[in-house]
Amino acid sequence: MTPSEIQLRVNGRPSRIDSVPTDERLLDTLRWRLGLKGTKEGCRTGMCGACTVLRDGRGTLSCLLLTHEADGASITTIEGIGSDPVGRRVLDAFDAAGALQCGYCTPGFVMALTGLLREGGRSTPVDEMLEDLGGNLCRCTGYATIVRAARSAREEGA
Amino acid sequence: MSASARPDAPAKLSGSVVYGTDLDVPGMFWGALVPAPVARGRLRRIDLGPARALPGVVAISAADVAALVDGRAGDAERPPFPPEQITYLHQPIAAVAAPSPGLARAAARAVRVEVDGLPAVTDLEELFPEWPERAIDDPDHLAAHVRAGRGDVEAVFRTAESVVRETYRTASVHQVALEPHACVADVTDGLWHVRTSTQSPFGAREDASSILGIPESSLVVEGAWVGGGFGGKGAAFLEPYALLLARAAGRPVRLALGYEDEFRLGRTTLPAVLRMETAVTDGEIVGRRVRLLLDVGTSLPGRDFATGYAIGFLLGPYRTPTFEVEGYAVRTNKPPFGPHRAPFAPQAAFVVESHLEEVARRIGADPVAFKARHLWKEGDRTPLGQPVLPFGLPSALEGARATAERWRREAPSGHGVGVAVGFWSTSTGAGGEARVELTPAELRIIQGEREIGSGSVVVGIARVAARRTGLPFERIRVEYRDSARAPFDSGVFGSRTVGALGRATDEAITALLRSLGERLGAPGPAELGIVDGQIYAIHGRTRRSIAELWTPAEEAQGAMAAEGKHYGKGGAIDESLVRDGQFYAFTDFTGAAHVAEVEVDRETGSVRLVRYAAFHDAGVVIDPASARAQVEGGIAMGIGTALTEEAIWADDGRLTNAGLVDYRIPTLPEIPPIEVHFVEGFAGAGPFGAKGLGEPPIIPVPAAVASAVRDAVGAHVTELPLTPERVARELKLL
Repeated sequence: MTPSEIQLRVNGRPSRIDSVPTDERLLDTLRWRLGLKGTKEGCRTGMCGACTVLRDGRGTLSCLLLTHEADGASITTIEGIGSDPVGRRVLDAFDAAGALQCGYCTPGFVMALTGLLREGGRSTPVDEMLEDLGGNLCRCTGYATIVRAARSAREEGA
Repeated sequence: MSASARPDAPAKLSGSVVYGTDLDVPGMFWGALVPAPVARGRLRRIDLGPARALPGVVAISAADVAALVDGRAGDAERPPFPPEQITYLHQPIAAVAAPSPGLARAAARAVRVEVDGLPAVTDLEELFPEWPERAIDDPDHLAAHVRAGRGDVEAVFRTAESVVRETYRTASVHQVALEPHACVADVTDGLWHVRTSTQSPFGAREDASSILGIPESSLVVEGAWVGGGFGGKGAAFLEPYALLLARAAGRPVRLALGYEDEFRLGRTTLPAVLRMETAVTDGEIVGRRVRLLLDVGTSLPGRDFATGYAIGFLLGPYRTPTFEVEGYAVRTNKPPFGPHRAPFAPQAAFVVESHLEEVARRIGADPVAFKARHLWKEGDRTPLGQPVLPFGLPSALEGARATAERWRREAPSGHGVGVAVGFWSTSTGAGGEARVELTPAELRIIQGEREIGSGSVVVGIARVAARRTGLPFERIRVEYRDSARAPFDSGVFGSRTVGALGRATDEAITALLRSLGERLGAPGPAELGIVDGQIYAIHGRTRRSIAELWTPAEEAQGAMAAEGKHYGKGGAIDESLVRDGQFYAFTDFTGAAHVAEVEVDRETGSVRLVRYAAFHDAGVVIDPASARAQVEGGIAMGIGTALTEEAIWADDGRLTNAGLVDYRIPTLPEIPPIEVHFVEGFAGAGPFGAKGLGEPPIIPVPAAVASAVRDAVGAHVTELPLTPERVARELKLL
């Protein structure tokens, strides 16, 4: 494990991080080095989706991505997603639908859905969109309000 | 931006909410627990030396506790670390704190432990193969025995037209809150302080105080936002360890569980075996006998809450003239039994409902009509002699029956429709207190609970306040204070928050409105309203602004304040029917009837939910959107209990599926569309007649799904969960 310097663009701002061990996960870099605690730590095995961020615009599980693998990437977290037009739409849809309870899975869902809609927008078939969201777990809502928010965010897409 | 559906949504959507896992204090150390290497055995020697040799590392075990709490004595029956006997695998036997998480993990691994291992006890039926034919009298494994009854059951069973006897098995299920347990403790100048993700700051304070022997006055518990609780974050768990480590390290210590340990150490519902017997004559239930063998892990003898509680639900909400119920709580080498959303009630409903459906089918009766005929009505008495209070379950079942008939007509081949009821009682007996503060601009509710997600705090009690005062919801602000500064409250559990804390809030507001009425010179309490953007006290045509009505002292304080409390009284059971142990009375009578439509694959036995409908008695619904969301969420959780969730222990006490890969909770595509209905007109003990709704939605689900599976393919599965393997096995037997 040779710690070395990593360059990331996080929420639009360039970030140089020194002495990152090669086994450090992007999740931990974001939370404990950059203080971006909005990205949630759940299972750390890629099963719950709570740690989803956008890597170069696509949804990625930050618990399964080594920070070294992300070197040079552009990372968007819940703290920055509001400046993306699709992200803004998703946030508004979650807010209007009350698509959260404890809120712990919420950043992951917002990032995952934003990633999906950025790729396909309204052309994304609803079933496919909902199937893809199956990678994010929620224990509170039974997904009902999340489905409402996702449909409405998709509908409003150009 | 559009209007928020929930007041906590903007903060939660911005990522700025601080949960237990997000707590981060400058200079803090990272804690880790040292797990017992065997499930059962004697701790011969524990050597912390190799851990302490690592740079900056602090390590503690049982021998260090007394000095860390200045020689005080905690509860001898539940020391933080076992002094000698290990009772479950991964039981914390020591703890370490280090400047980095990696070093903490290394330090925990460096601790040398020598144990004399013994064979673990994990399986109820291996332990007591002759139960229930033979009574259990084994002080080593018995945590509790409860028994109650009325009349001569043996005689009734001898003379009845038909008797149905069945055995059921239910599984251990986990809460699976997405946020693992986490806290940060600090001990400075004799003040013990812990910030933690908890459903009950005051409960955690009481527990930690009792475990460590520290007076409650020296211990402050500050709630972090909770990333899901479901019963798993109700009592102190990590807090005592974090406090001890902080004292030892002389600096703040963060302690959080990895997700595997959430499963391994979590206190939750454990397996059970049940023998159900029902005697019927002329289509009427004339006698019932229910016997429960419940695994309570390493719960303390005499302190097991589960058995007496569970057994109260095992007769179901049905009239039963002659009966006997008996439960044994059995100690095994697993973590202690702990509450999981409506503890054991989904399991109890699965067993009661499936069994009574079997009884009805055997006598050629329609199961739903048979149940409806026996269901309690207001004014009936429960088997234990408690009068039934306003109870909407009969109306709910009528709604479910009508929906099920329609769905059954529409259902294609291979589909089935099932109906089941679930009964519950809100724990408003656990009391609470609140303070309200009124300013010219807003009404603040000062209280000690963190929102756990259901909305019961940030929405529920705020709605109560809005409704009582007449103020717009946006003018109500719920404020959180830590355990040193908030009025006492029991916790966010037992579906009690709106009922009990809401009533306390309502009492405080009532006192405030009375005082305002007097200040107006009016003959009764004032209402509040908005005039030119300012809050006014109003009575008839008299209206004055708060700024005109408050005293100089109140003006200096910035608010008028009032306090309220609510310690609800439960009903009473007929204690002469209790022969052993403790049974509990119900504080109110709530519940639901559910309808499930499933599709069953005859080849594989796999079950898919097609659609779902729920009819709930929640008394007077305080916030329709949150109420609906509670029902939707509870049903999804119940679908997990019904179909996939099962914690499986190996003979050596190892949890074989400690993680989300092998312990499967429902994902989005597996949840069907859900209709939610409320039957109104059956007032409960909460504010405006509300009843609790946190727990009831999960209760009927496994029973409704099992009933639908039976309707679809004829498989009568008597074991939870209904895995493809179990369904297929029943199909082969048909």
